[in-house]
Amino acid sequence: MRETTAMHNGASWARTMERERYYRSSVRSRGSSSTSDIAARQKIIDCCRKLVAFMCTQVGVGGLVVGYTVVGAFTFQYIETIEENPALEKVNRTRSRYAYILWEIANEQNVFNETAFKQNVSGALKRYQDEMVVFMKKGYDGRTVQDMWSIPAALMFSLSIITMIGYGNMVPRTPWGKGVTVLYAVFGIPLYILYFMNMGEVLAGTFRWIYTWLYECSTERDEDEPPRRVIVPSSASLWVIGGYIATGAIMFAQWEQWSYLDSTYFCVTSLCKIGLGDFVPGANINDFKVGSQTKLVVNFVYMLVGLGLVAMCYNLMREEIKIKVKEMKEDMGQCLEDTKMRFISCANKCRS
Amino acid sequence: MERQRSLRRRRRAERPLAQKIKDCIRNFIAFMFSNVGIIGLVVGYAIAGAFIFMEIEGSAEKPHTTNIAKNREQTAASFWNLTYTTNVLDKETWMRNVSQILLDYQSFAVDAIRDGYDGTDDTDYSKQWSFSGAFLYSLTVITTIGYGNIVPRTAWGKVATIVYAIIGMPLFLLYLSNIGDIMARSFKWIYATCYLCKGCPGVSRRRAERRRRRAEEIEMEYGLGGVPDWQLSDEHPVSDGSDDDAVTDISEESFDAQTITVPVTICLTMMVGYIVGGAMLFAKYESWDLLNGSYFCFISLSTIGFGDLVPGDKIYSSGEGFDIELSFIFCSMYLMLGMALIAMCFNLMQEEVIHKFRTTVSTLKYICRCNR
Repeated sequence: MRETTAMHNGASWARTMERERYYRSSVRSRGSSSTSDIAARQKIIDCCRKLVAFMCTQVGVGGLVVGYTVVGAFTFQYIETIEENPALEKVNRTRSRYAYILWEIANEQNVFNETAFKQNVSGALKRYQDEMVVFMKKGYDGRTVQDMWSIPAALMFSLSIITMIGYGNMVPRTPWGKGVTVLYAVFGIPLYILYFMNMGEVLAGTFRWIYTWLYECSTERDEDEPPRRVIVPSSASLWVIGGYIATGAIMFAQWEQWSYLDSTYFCVTSLCKIGLGDFVPGANINDFKVGSQTKLVVNFVYMLVGLGLVAMCYNLMREEIKIKVKEMKEDMGQCLEDTKMRFISCANKCRS
Repeated sequence: MERQRSLRRRRRAERPLAQKIKDCIRNFIAFMFSNVGIIGLVVGYAIAGAFIFMEIEGSAEKPHTTNIAKNREQTAASFWNLTYTTNVLDKETWMRNVSQILLDYQSFAVDAIRDGYDGTDDTDYSKQWSFSGAFLYSLTVITTIGYGNIVPRTAWGKVATIVYAIIGMPLFLLYLSNIGDIMARSFKWIYATCYLCKGCPGVSRRRAERRRRRAEEIEMEYGLGGVPDWQLSDEHPVSDGSDDDAVTDISEESFDAQTITVPVTICLTMMVGYIVGGAMLFAKYESWDLLNGSYFCFISLSTIGFGDLVPGDKIYSSGEGFDIELSFIFCSMYLMLGMALIAMCFNLMQEEVIHKFRTTVSTLKYICRCNR
């Protein structure tokens, strides 16, 4: 990078480059001395280094994830709205064909025989319905692609790829879309895992700090007792997750007119990354017609924060579980030792 | 310790029955947490889940069937009325009205299909929740794939799913880490024996000699003082350490396969090969094209699981139900094996990647003249 800019600036840089190269080696060997242009360069390098360091911090990674999903949203919207879903046209044609069939039935039967008429019409409708089932299986759902791939929906789609939730209420239909999805996932998933780790650490640190603070406030501590490291009990983090799920359940239940069981089911399957996709907020057809897509955005934020919270719990519970497992192992060992001794004494008694 | 063991051995002859049973139980528990046991545990858990979901969901009656049939009759009746009132003289008006009614009926049908209606009017809901279907469902829940082609409709089914997922996911993670570890070990051993021929003494001796010669050449070339320190530390970290290794290799015939690092490219090739192989199999079996097949394999193995392509869909739409079991079972096998394989590859790759990462960082530091 630096080298190329210097090259572009022409011959006047050549001498400074030479000098700098000399200085570089001299700096390395002796570790001393710098002149003004090197200082400027150093500043730029420092700046770059700081930027990279910042990008690796929590805010940077969070921003990176959000930016990546936004880019993905625009890409997928572009790719998927290039051509109209052919199923839409086919469905229209099928409908007019069946209207014609009905006309023929009406013509043939006329209005004298009610039962025969109804029977025939019913049969035709059944066939029509079966064809609709096949269309639905192939991805028709009564919306044009422009309605379907709005920006918030595409955002949700990108997030569901990189977090491996995969609701499946929206899927790429074109070959290009499929290929891009695979590529997007290959790069996005490691990024998301980075976010997961980072976020987990930060949130765990914050939570531990709050817990310690509350703990010290609530309990009387001797002055001479040294402050010790408080381990957050796993029940506390479970309460946090439970509270978060309950909040989400109530929120979605109010918005979507789901029952509480349904919205709890949605929250748990989403936060566990199962993502069955039978309930997705803001995804039913009426909402798209009304145009209220804030729900999707709120769902996006809810998912991001929730996954961070899950990471936090994972982080907090890991150490506790480690300690618990070690204790249990010791207990088991003692227990086994104890029973062994008892058996030996018992056997001795039996023999004697 | 030694004395204890001998004590126990002497006592074995006359040890009581209770002790024997206890030993048996202990062995059994240890076995359950071993590698074979954990596979059995996961499969057993999935099978148990399959039976539970079959019981809960299969017994529930299909709510939409009666609804749809009623709606169809109503539509037919409205056609009758329409024909009765307008008669068949004015074709234009008649067609327009019929089109409108059909559109209404279509949107109703779309809603019904989205809620899980699949075109069969008969009330056997158990077709979807057959044993293999329920097995695949429980597997997709614990692996967090979640296709969503089959979803629970009843309240109890949803509760069971939540509980099942909370218990099942840690179990599956345990399975993955365990199986990944053991597969990585065996793969390393196979790699060392077959590819590097570490087992055969002649090859290893020749290899060691070649390596030593190369190291000597490098030393000759640079002289003693001329080698830059970064080059030694970064580019040839092997040549320093492996001389001793080579010597030990010659001196002792046995080798430790676990010290070998398998190159990343082999792992990546294996993963890609598995996906492509699966794609070809599915493409043949399900009559998808190759892109769709590899898309399905990738989406499944990365646990995204959209569920737009699911094996057995072809059979659903053509209406025959006999082969679907086979395709579901095959899909489950593919998934379990594939996830274990991916866990193995990550296990193999991580040390190599960490090593590479460290090297890159130190090189970057050199380039940026960072003295820290």
